[in-house]
Amino acid sequence: MKTQLAAAWRALFHRNELYRDLDEEMRFHVEMELEKNIRRGLPAEQARTEALRTFGAAARHQEECREASGTRWLEDFVQDARATFRGLRKNPGYAIAAAVTLALGIGANVAVFSVVHAVFLQALPYGAGERLVRLRQDAPGIGIRDAGFSPPEIPEYAAQTRTLSAVAEYHSMFFILLGGAEPERLQTGVVSANFFDLMGVTPMLGRGFLPGEDAAGAEPVLILSYDYWQRHGSDTKILGRTFKMNDKIHTVVGVLPPMPAYPDANDLYMPSSDCPFRGSAAAAHNRNARMLTVFGRLRPGATRAAVNRDVDEIGARLARAYPDAYPKSGSGFSVRGVPLADELTERARPTFLILLAVVGLVLLLACANVANLTLARQLRRSREMALRAALGAGRGRIVRQALTESGLLALIGGGLGILLAAGGLRLLVAFAARFTPRASEITIDSVVLLFALGLSLATGLVFGLLPALSGNRNLLTVLNDGGTRSTGGIRGRVLRQGLIVVQVAVSFMLLIGAGLMLRSLWKLQHVAVGFDAERVVTMRLSLNFSKYTNGGERRTFHERLLPALTDQPGFSSVAIAGTLPLNQNGGPQNSFFEIEGRPAPSKDLRPQADFQQVSPEYFRTIRIPLLRGRAFAGSDLPDRPLVAVVNQTMAEHLWKTEEPIGRRILVDGVKDWITVVGIVGDVRQYGLERKPEDQVYLALEQFPSLSGSILVRTTSDLDSVARRIRHTVHGLDPDQPVDRARTLEDVRSEAIASPRLTSILLSIFAGLALLITSAGIAGVIAFSVGERTQEFGIRLALGAAPGSVLAMVMREGMALVAAGIALGLIGAHALARLMSGLLFEVDATDPPTFLAMSVVLAGVALLACLLPARRATSVDPTVALRNA
Amino acid sequence: MTPAKSDLLQGTLDVLILNTLQSGSQHGWGIAQRIQQVSDDVLQVNQGSLYPALYRLEAKGWIRADWGNSENNRRAKFYALTRAGRRQLAEEKESWQRFSAAVGRVLQAT
Repeated sequence: MKTQLAAAWRALFHRNELYRDLDEEMRFHVEMELEKNIRRGLPAEQARTEALRTFGAAARHQEECREASGTRWLEDFVQDARATFRGLRKNPGYAIAAAVTLALGIGANVAVFSVVHAVFLQALPYGAGERLVRLRQDAPGIGIRDAGFSPPEIPEYAAQTRTLSAVAEYHSMFFILLGGAEPERLQTGVVSANFFDLMGVTPMLGRGFLPGEDAAGAEPVLILSYDYWQRHGSDTKILGRTFKMNDKIHTVVGVLPPMPAYPDANDLYMPSSDCPFRGSAAAAHNRNARMLTVFGRLRPGATRAAVNRDVDEIGARLARAYPDAYPKSGSGFSVRGVPLADELTERARPTFLILLAVVGLVLLLACANVANLTLARQLRRSREMALRAALGAGRGRIVRQALTESGLLALIGGGLGILLAAGGLRLLVAFAARFTPRASEITIDSVVLLFALGLSLATGLVFGLLPALSGNRNLLTVLNDGGTRSTGGIRGRVLRQGLIVVQVAVSFMLLIGAGLMLRSLWKLQHVAVGFDAERVVTMRLSLNFSKYTNGGERRTFHERLLPALTDQPGFSSVAIAGTLPLNQNGGPQNSFFEIEGRPAPSKDLRPQADFQQVSPEYFRTIRIPLLRGRAFAGSDLPDRPLVAVVNQTMAEHLWKTEEPIGRRILVDGVKDWITVVGIVGDVRQYGLERKPEDQVYLALEQFPSLSGSILVRTTSDLDSVARRIRHTVHGLDPDQPVDRARTLEDVRSEAIASPRLTSILLSIFAGLALLITSAGIAGVIAFSVGERTQEFGIRLALGAAPGSVLAMVMREGMALVAAGIALGLIGAHALARLMSGLLFEVDATDPPTFLAMSVVLAGVALLACLLPARRATSVDPTVALRNA
Repeated sequence: MTPAKSDLLQGTLDVLILNTLQSGSQHGWGIAQRIQQVSDDVLQVNQGSLYPALYRLEAKGWIRADWGNSENNRRAKFYALTRAGRRQLAEEKESWQRFSAAVGRVLQAT
């Protein structure tokens, strides 16, 4: 083995030395023979002739020796590689065009594969993550989707399950970190003590929560996330340090390793007893406090179906035992476990599936284009090839050389492609993060590099084999026509035209994909959102729950804050609202209610709506039109009749032709009836693509909430407004955080950021495809015109009008384009179907898009044909004929 | 030279080379001379077969090649048996003897 390696090494890198050795060895032999002959008494001249004669053809022996030493194929490879480099240097245009085309194709694939690998193929970064599920309960019959779990259910599920080895709870809260320069609002995962054990996460520093640390009265502790720890100095001696969070002092007991931002991008974690709401005695028994997310780990041997059956039975049992707290039968109430892998990646799947298809198509296109370039180049070299074949190069040897050439080109392209992918990785990670918390795991690792290598070699094989097999090795024909008509025969011609048809078809598919996405984006941008986002600045304000414990305290704060802000110069209108419009992080928080005089047959069949608390100026601040009645007023105080404003959708849905104003509703959890006093226009509250649903606005002063956003209509710039809001809030309460300053236009453009980025990506790929294809068309037409120079010369000499010659060439080119578009229609249809999930109000067979893209493609193709075709008309008959 | 004939010679030549090298390392010319001498000029070694055979045996790891100085002080490539080559030689010798004894018996019987 060692000697073989050494021989291979020598064949690769010391070929000349090997040849020299052979030479010397044989010369030595001849000299020894010569001496022997001289000793035998032969005259010098005869001795030499004799010695050479006995030895035979030295070159032949050397050749056989090289063959015998088993490294011949390597030597051939080195020879081919050198020939390739020489050839490419002599023809840099071809080399650069091919390498760049391949780099783009391979780079795009490597980049998308790095995402697919990290997000969909790699094991979850939790210990045996494939055994984790999140429980969800639904009651589709009464419009309840993925409801949370209540505190008393946790021990019940843990005790009754036969398929889960453990059950852990989770919810996310905002806590306030005090003691720094400014109070800091930290997103906190609040979990049962077994949460990290169940998830299979071992802290990087310190420990996880201990059993009992989630019990009432336990010492307050906390665990930092890796990101937060890193953002704050990566202090390895942080264990044992204390954090003042709201009204409690917590000791740091651990730091987590890097993890997906799932279930939320939490800064830190606390045991469930530290949440004042979850930890309260009232919550422990309240089945309607559905605030918790529940995770379970499958027992060994448990199947997903068994888990679903198991938890559904537990849910049904609880519903029978506590009928008041669960939907009635017939509502389709069910409980099931969703695999964690789906939770983390499901949303990214459609987008990256499409991107994978798109980059695959781009690579196919790149292959076709380079194959065409190679074919054209090879035809120019057909004399050389035929000569070599005639001189004894075997067919295998010639194919091998062609493959060496294409393989090396593909590897160069692949290398450049990896650089390209690495350069774009940061952008891609940011893009992927919009769809999956696993985006942080995306890297170009050994698996991705291996993929790149394999892909490059496969690419080289595809675009190398096609021309290699169609080459013309008939010396007679090639030499006969003097190289001027070496067309490579019918087969080569059909192949080139076939490649163009494929390129046009693939480009058409990509154009349709991009076109549909752009049209969908355009529709999203032109959705009537129902409010005026211009010149509104917003900041997040979540009142300190340990300080503003009751409605009165919250109201007092609001009553001091709002006038203080309104007094600011340039703040024309100020409001506080529970959530911002276009809030994509949540869906409607529906509550059941009853309309006065319309008792429902059962409590589950009562109407539902989303409820939002807003201050009086809200509608005016973001210019939601008041259609009828009145907005809230400063006089709508707790001691006055409770009032509500409803949106147009709800007014029409529930009251149809009746007048809603003056009607009263009774909402779950509120003792008194609430009177509808006004109707406002619809707003896209939970995302652009989400149709307005029934919405009730309540007066903030009558229902003072803890969390919300400040909204200011102003002409001042964001920074100065943010500074003044912060100053005003801290003036009232220095421990009250107010953060996340944005304009409402930022919120709006954020709402379409994902589809916009997807559109941009698809458009780039489609543009690239169009460019590559038009270059391919121009190249093939130019080649065909060059081939037929004599024919055109004769036609022109015989009196053909230049226009008719032009038309002839154009017909040839456009026939290929038409065939390509026809083929592309089928493919585009399939791609569009795949995309339908990403499209907003655009049909996957949207005729305008298909029509427009056909026109674009045909137009570009026409131009690509026209430029080389014009050369056909300018053929000088005498020159063309003389060369014949 | 037809391939069939060269194949037959090749196998035989390999054993002869290995056997020659048993008595010490030798260069190509020396190997050829020695085979001729020992066989009383019955076996003529064709150089066109000798050198490919040497390279093949080297690739198989049965012999090792090193540059050294020849008896008349010229640079020459010397071949020596490796341990694997020695084993191979023993096997080949044995099977050759079995073969020639068998052929001898057959020839005597007729």
